[in-house]
Amino acid sequence: MEFKEILKLQYTALKIRRNILRLIRAGEAGHVGGALSSVEIVTALYFNLLNIDPDKPKWPQRDRFVLSAGHKCLVLYAALAERGFFDVSVLDTYGSLDSPIPGHPNMHKLPGIETNTGALGHGLSIAGGMALGLRMDKSQSRVFVLMGDGELAEGSNWEAASAASMHKLENLIVFVDRNKLQISGPTIEVMSYEPLDERWRSFGWSVRVINGNDLETIISTVHQAPFKKGKPSVIIADTIKSKGLSFAEGKVNYHYWKANPEEMEQAERDLDAIETELKEKTERSTGDE
Amino acid sequence: MNELKDPRKTFGEAVIEAAKNNPDVVVLSADSSSGSGLAAFPSLFPERHFEFGIMEQGVIGYASGLATTGKIPVFAAIAPFVTARPFEMFRNDLGYMNQNVKVVGRCAGLTYDQLGSTHHSIDDIALIRTIPGVTVINPGDPVTIKKAVHAMIEHRGPCYMKIGNPKMPVLYPEDVDFRLGKGIIIKEGRDVALIGTGTVLSKAVAAARLLEDSGISVRLIDIHTIKPLDRDLILSTAREIGKIVTVEEHFIAGGLGSAIAEICSQECPVKMKMIGIGDYYASNGPYEELIGKYGLQPDQIYETTMKFLTT
Repeated sequence: MEFKEILKLQYTALKIRRNILRLIRAGEAGHVGGALSSVEIVTALYFNLLNIDPDKPKWPQRDRFVLSAGHKCLVLYAALAERGFFDVSVLDTYGSLDSPIPGHPNMHKLPGIETNTGALGHGLSIAGGMALGLRMDKSQSRVFVLMGDGELAEGSNWEAASAASMHKLENLIVFVDRNKLQISGPTIEVMSYEPLDERWRSFGWSVRVINGNDLETIISTVHQAPFKKGKPSVIIADTIKSKGLSFAEGKVNYHYWKANPEEMEQAERDLDAIETELKEKTERSTGDE
Repeated sequence: MNELKDPRKTFGEAVIEAAKNNPDVVVLSADSSSGSGLAAFPSLFPERHFEFGIMEQGVIGYASGLATTGKIPVFAAIAPFVTARPFEMFRNDLGYMNQNVKVVGRCAGLTYDQLGSTHHSIDDIALIRTIPGVTVINPGDPVTIKKAVHAMIEHRGPCYMKIGNPKMPVLYPEDVDFRLGKGIIIKEGRDVALIGTGTVLSKAVAAARLLEDSGISVRLIDIHTIKPLDRDLILSTAREIGKIVTVEEHFIAGGLGSAIAEICSQECPVKMKMIGIGDYYASNGPYEELIGKYGLQPDQIYETTMKFLTT
């Protein structure tokens, strides 16, 4: 990918992080850790990889995105708004009565949301059904899923995973956001499914392990899918929980964040610092030309 | 003596007939198609039959996903394994997502008689009718099973239908007027309303005959659709008759009687007697003896009704 394209996506990722802060400001709290860890994955999907049209959210030929870890919905709302599925001002309703953006997504409330998730361990089987249906229709559309690593302890995922490989769903691509933390502590201490790559491989999937906070790597990896003919693909994306917030990165107690004013100010400064960095990068690259 | 027909075979034949007319109909199996009267489906429609093995909760999710692409998935398996076991998947993936999926619980009620409480399904109506937007169908004879299959496939939205296991008597002519959400008045009467559903409808029919022989005039009603319930028929019956006896092979808690009481108690309170299974795990044994243990044989329904009318 060209440097400029990457830089543009990095700016978009920053905007999405700013949108997440905007949501937290509106709702005063939210599942911020897993939303921030998966910003690059969601940015790469909605601003580069997915074949979608915000003006035709039900277009049959669209790619599908299933947010299995529904509590990461802040990143989905932030990206959908930025991509034009609905007005960015909707983000300011977060936490209010009858808001179209509840704490877990509801497909009936806004365009662009494919599934009602929130209860963990549901998304993969729904996505598998979508992939089956699209294949029946000889569609070129693909189905992308974002799962959490803590979520993998739900046994229903492994039923769904077995069925996806049995039915050779090569139009199905899963991201596991391995941010390594869940509510009670490190995922390997709460309920380890490591080694994840071997686990998925043994369920009949083709596997890649990548840096899940690196936009270029995410995009180039998806371009290689299906990694093996006739197999569904899983990308184990190593990420940093609460990525972007200096005081929260990699800390277990920011799975759900009830923001105090000091933290919110710091969060703003952190994102400003990212912006400064990106500006410097831009200037350097312009200078190079 | 009425002709007896196998409910599973009847169901399977109806699905195959519907699939011939509607290319969107697909069947999902949790190692359960052959036991659901659908053994012929995979060879007739190899591209439209998906086997998953014994993973009912996952199959509900796959069905939901298939429905998002315009397919009409039909998923039939042993009743508790498509209701109680994957309840959250039913609620979220089908109900909350409002997906056009048809779930069928077979060998429901106590009809898996010998197999014990793990395989009985006497809570499915109570569970599934709490899910907003789901149509709950409990047909009481082979003719209405067939009609219910076609009606639920034509209906857009999630459905749950339950059928039994042993052969059941044909109660209706082929041209019976079957509409989802509309009860059927089998016989008019004045003294008491006897309202039956599902596998024990034929027992209610026989009990009504015994009551008539004793000079009791019975309005006999088949409520084949528990949800949406035919409230007009229930309320007019409550107003006109004033005494209601319900008959079901289900827990009294949450079943047909409960659903009727929810309406009557608020809008037209009447005396009611609910015949069904109390707050315990049902026993096991030959089907006719087993339902007799819970007062669901015609002579028992007759006795209970007579006592209800005289006290």
